Amino acid sequence: MSPPRIRIGLVGAGGIARAHLPNLLRLGEVVVHSTAGAPALVAAFGGGEVVDSLEDLLERVDVVDVAVPTFAHAEIVRAALAAGKPVISEKPLALTDEDAADLAARAEAARLPLYPAHVVRYFPEYVRLKEAVDAGTLGDLAVLRFSRSGAFPMHTPWFADHALSGGIVMDQMIHDLDMARWIAGEVVRVSAVTARVPDDRDPVEAAHVLLTHASGAISHVAGLWGPQHLPFTTEYSVTGTGGTLAHSSAAEQNYRSELAAAVAADGFLPAVDPAEDPYFAELHEFVDAIQGGPTPRVSAADGVAAVALANAARRSLETGQPVELPSFSRVGA
Amino acid sequence: MSALRIGVLSFAHVHAVGYLASLAAMPDVEVRGSDPDGTSTGRSVDELRGRALADALGVGYADTYEELLAWRPDAVVITSENARHRELVELAAGAGAHILCEKPLATSWEDGLAMRDAAASAGVLLMVAFPVRFASVFQRLRAEHAAGALGRLVSVRGANNGMLPTARDWFTDPALAGGGALVDHIVHIADLLDGLMGSEPLTVTAVANRVLHAGRAASETAGLVTITYANGVIAAIDCSWSRPDTSPVWGGLTLSLAGTSGTVEIDFFGQAARGIVAGTGRPLEARYGPDFDDALLATFVDAVRTGTQPQPDVHVGLRTLSIVLAAQESARTGRTVHVLREEAAPAP
Repeated sequence: MSPPRIRIGLVGAGGIARAHLPNLLRLGEVVVHSTAGAPALVAAFGGGEVVDSLEDLLERVDVVDVAVPTFAHAEIVRAALAAGKPVISEKPLALTDEDAADLAARAEAARLPLYPAHVVRYFPEYVRLKEAVDAGTLGDLAVLRFSRSGAFPMHTPWFADHALSGGIVMDQMIHDLDMARWIAGEVVRVSAVTARVPDDRDPVEAAHVLLTHASGAISHVAGLWGPQHLPFTTEYSVTGTGGTLAHSSAAEQNYRSELAAAVAADGFLPAVDPAEDPYFAELHEFVDAIQGGPTPRVSAADGVAAVALANAARRSLETGQPVELPSFSRVGA
Repeated sequence: MSALRIGVLSFAHVHAVGYLASLAAMPDVEVRGSDPDGTSTGRSVDELRGRALADALGVGYADTYEELLAWRPDAVVITSENARHRELVELAAGAGAHILCEKPLATSWEDGLAMRDAAASAGVLLMVAFPVRFASVFQRLRAEHAAGALGRLVSVRGANNGMLPTARDWFTDPALAGGGALVDHIVHIADLLDGLMGSEPLTVTAVANRVLHAGRAASETAGLVTITYANGVIAAIDCSWSRPDTSPVWGGLTLSLAGTSGTVEIDFFGQAARGIVAGTGRPLEARYGPDFDDALLATFVDAVRTGTQPQPDVHVGLRTLSIVLAAQESARTGRTVHVLREEAAPAP
């Protein structure tokens, strides 16, 4: 007889939960709680049991996966840790540096795993980059560019509210801020510029962030929440003394079609190969670690550092000047 | 129509080779060059200097600038080292010749203003050589932007990456080049945005390093720059000399623009037939596409014939220079810098 399957509590039933639930169902028994949308989510993927309260969920599961809107991350993570559960949390770990650090400290004090879902570390094109850098193929890194573009998230209103989402820097660009730090190391200075057209029907928001790494390498991170027809695309270009490695998701397509009746694409999340789904790779690594497997490639400290980078960029937007990162925020140096 | 006389002052910049050849091929244009400070570094056309280059290209030659200007050219093209643009512009303006000056306009704000004033007081045309804006894809972008197809422009990403310039080693001598990658490769994209938007740059933030080619370059070899414009647009430029020496092609220039109605991506030098060399495994990249220099020179020659000020003019040159100077200051100080603005042009 096989051992009982791990019981996973998914909190939240919005956009990103749709990328989590089908993968969680491959990993264990899933219980779902959300203030809205849980029955529809479960019906859409044909699995998972809906419970009416967070308390119910916490009583019934071994691990909690937090996929609520950003502004509620800290509260739910605290509740899960207080209930003694290992936690997977969507990024950003929290909106403020203080909350992010507090969550990491609570997890450490309780000796509970806390894994922030920086899923880009699991996208194969970025794994190739990390491998090339770690193998020394690119030599000493000099200059890096990361770009991420998609449609302005309109399916739910909280993204457009900077007080709730942190704006494009905290919600979307944090992926590449984390990536730049993962690839080129700790960051000592951050600057940012932004442009925003807050149109009710077709809002657009963009930002550019420049990073100076402790190694001397420099990075540019570009984010775009564009018009609604825009497909999701990413790019990177990394150059060191040993060579250069670049990727464009738009260029590296292994399926092109010209069909009379086109199937609508989703501009909110990137298209992924179901046989190499990075959301599955990520959740699998986390759940495996919780069950005694190897340490994941992303830690709570990485999540705290990513929030610190995003908040430094937001401070730069407010002051109009670069922001020096204090050494205490250079977590994991 | 009498033949137009065009002199090329200095062959220090690699673009002199292309300009000499293109001008020589134009009907009703007579070309002479002068490169008194040039010394050939090899036998290929890119390494030849002075009379040897003129002979190789079949164009006339004068041993000194004075001798060339005594020929009374209608116009000159200045392709000296960046820091020597001013003295040659002043020399040519004094001789009453219209001027096409290689980019960047100058290496200091003071020099740029002096060049503007020298041309204005001599009554000669002064154009800055930004060939990329003559690309037909840029004309298409302009037309689509003007028609409102992009909606309101919001954000731009540009990359102008090349190899470390080696055939002309003054590029890596800050005294003659006015810096490194920042002065060399910001201006083309800054010019394209100037030509597209006509908006004043406001602030510049830059980071730079010398990790690549650390042993060969005395100034920065990598640079990343963000710019804010008066119209609310934000732009980022990668101006790094990040193309490896072993690359099959020199580098390129790409531009990604985002507006409220959509995006446009342009790869100005990107079209190529691609393959692999069996013997070495090296990539084969056979590029194609029109020569932007021809269109630039045709515009300049036409302006000289008609006496009409062409674009990009010295004011574009100054605005693009102001971004470079602010970027250099920002990279040095770690601060975001407000760009210099031209005071009202002096009355003619």
